Amino acid sequence: MDDKVNSSGSAIEARRLDAGYGGPPVLKDVSFSLEKKAVGLLGPNGSGKTTLLRVLLGHLPPVAGGVTVMGHDMARAPRRARRHVGWMPERGGIIPGMSGVAMVAYLGELGGMPTSDALQRAHEVLNYVGLADERYRLADTYSQGMRQRLKLSQALVHDPDWLFLDEPTSGLDPKGRLSMLDLVNDLAGAKGLGVILSTHLLADVKAVCSEILVLREGRLLDHVGIGAVDDGAERVYIAEGFGNEQGFLDAVRRAGGAAEAEGRLLRIGLPPDEGTGPVLRAAVESGYALRRLQLRTETLEDLFFKLVDGGE
Amino acid sequence: MPVYERGYRHWEHSGGHAAPAWWAIARRGIAEPLKRRGFLLLLVVAWVPAVVKAGILYFTWKVGELARLLGGSWTDITPEGFRAFLFWQGPFVLIVLALIGARLVTRDREENGLALYFARPLTLIDYVAGKTAIILFFYFAVTLFPVYALSVFGYLVTSGDVGVEMLLLVPLRATAFCILSGVSLALILLALSSLGRRTVFVVLWWVLLYAGSDGLADIMAMFDARLEICNFPGMYENLGSLFFSAEPALTSISPWFSLLQAVILTLAAVAVLRRRIRPVEVVS
Repeated sequence: MDDKVNSSGSAIEARRLDAGYGGPPVLKDVSFSLEKKAVGLLGPNGSGKTTLLRVLLGHLPPVAGGVTVMGHDMARAPRRARRHVGWMPERGGIIPGMSGVAMVAYLGELGGMPTSDALQRAHEVLNYVGLADERYRLADTYSQGMRQRLKLSQALVHDPDWLFLDEPTSGLDPKGRLSMLDLVNDLAGAKGLGVILSTHLLADVKAVCSEILVLREGRLLDHVGIGAVDDGAERVYIAEGFGNEQGFLDAVRRAGGAAEAEGRLLRIGLPPDEGTGPVLRAAVESGYALRRLQLRTETLEDLFFKLVDGGE
Repeated sequence: MPVYERGYRHWEHSGGHAAPAWWAIARRGIAEPLKRRGFLLLLVVAWVPAVVKAGILYFTWKVGELARLLGGSWTDITPEGFRAFLFWQGPFVLIVLALIGARLVTRDREENGLALYFARPLTLIDYVAGKTAIILFFYFAVTLFPVYALSVFGYLVTSGDVGVEMLLLVPLRATAFCILSGVSLALILLALSSLGRRTVFVVLWWVLLYAGSDGLADIMAMFDARLEICNFPGMYENLGSLFFSAEPALTSISPWFSLLQAVILTLAAVAVLRRRIRPVEVVS
């Protein structure tokens, strides 16, 4: 398959996208461009993650704006774009009455593969996801973990450039979850597939993705690299002590830091190149008896909660 | 074993041609029921009337008119006789199409399968054409294919005495009628199937529409003959008289009106399918 990108050089691009189900738009003014890598789509329930995937698949036409996938405009040529995309739905995603291998081969054929290629490829991908021994069983009888693997197989069978995974670890036990994340990591890393991982499990995103898109109430709040988050845009300290707490917080702010009370603890944010000097000086200046000062790198969780709670 | 050792490889195209999506859907949908012994037995039973008709046809020509007296009009070699034969296949049409068609869409909707189809480079037309082809195949299997077989058999038995009519015109008339009625029935059944999530309810609606309307129309026609209009299978039989140059099956309804009725019902079914066969529900 040709590895097309659009004129701006990105593999998937959304421009001022509005989309919904006939009522008020669920997605509002969403714009981003993605290169072929693993991208986490984060957001609380109802934030528009699944709707965004539906638009990217061409299942839902945009009300305004547009989307291109591998250079194909989803409004004009959704069928061409879908050749480049494999989709693993969160809900359902099984065709009852078929064995695992029959279902995957059938969907491969519908994806534009010759019959013999589709069958051979179905065996290969089922082997890859660890369902080789169960491939002749009826898909309806699969356990939740096996269903998730089967859904991944059908998304892979036609060798797409991009995988859209909607809550792929949903309903899996810890071992199954790790195994699924291993597979996705392998596909995104060694096999070079682009992945959009829609989830509300931050640990899954951290395990697989190099970038995140954060959605809240249908709006894109941020699009950042995971590296930037983990490297720490700021150094965060947790402080604890007694005395003139408010004076201490004010002194830290005057020194150029961010300071706020979180229960009985204080959260202090300093630029990454600063040491603890400003905090200690603020404590002396305000007469605050500092008993504990502990460095905490800002995590993905911090960023997520900061973004989704920011507007409230 | 680490996953990367399981050997995921990119697809190497063999150079073969991919079948059209509608054909992939149709082929699988036709092959799957043929693996069930019970269903195969039903198809064999559906050919019994054709075998009986063939036997009577043979004796009519070899022994005389005795068999015709015993068999009645549906054993006629005339086009009228073949229309009567198709009508008598009605119970098999009812059962076979209920078993095949009722679940064609419900099953896909059951586990969000429709969205899987439309995550592929597939159009609504591909999907509906594939499913329609499945129903048409089995409809033909109990109507048109027996007519073809009888035509050839009749031609051989009569030593070519009714050559052109038997070998050419009857199959042509039957083909045209079966394509029209089959496509209409298939789309209506698919529309019913798209309206439900449980196959059993679709079967119930289908039986009510097919057999129930027949019985109900017979009762209502006792009060007003024009109420034959409610007879669903009668509608197809009536319009069949246009193709077989026969007397209308419904005494008070013009065959042309039945044709119009069938076209309207079919268009309504298409509208339902356009509304219901979607990967995502959009409120308009």
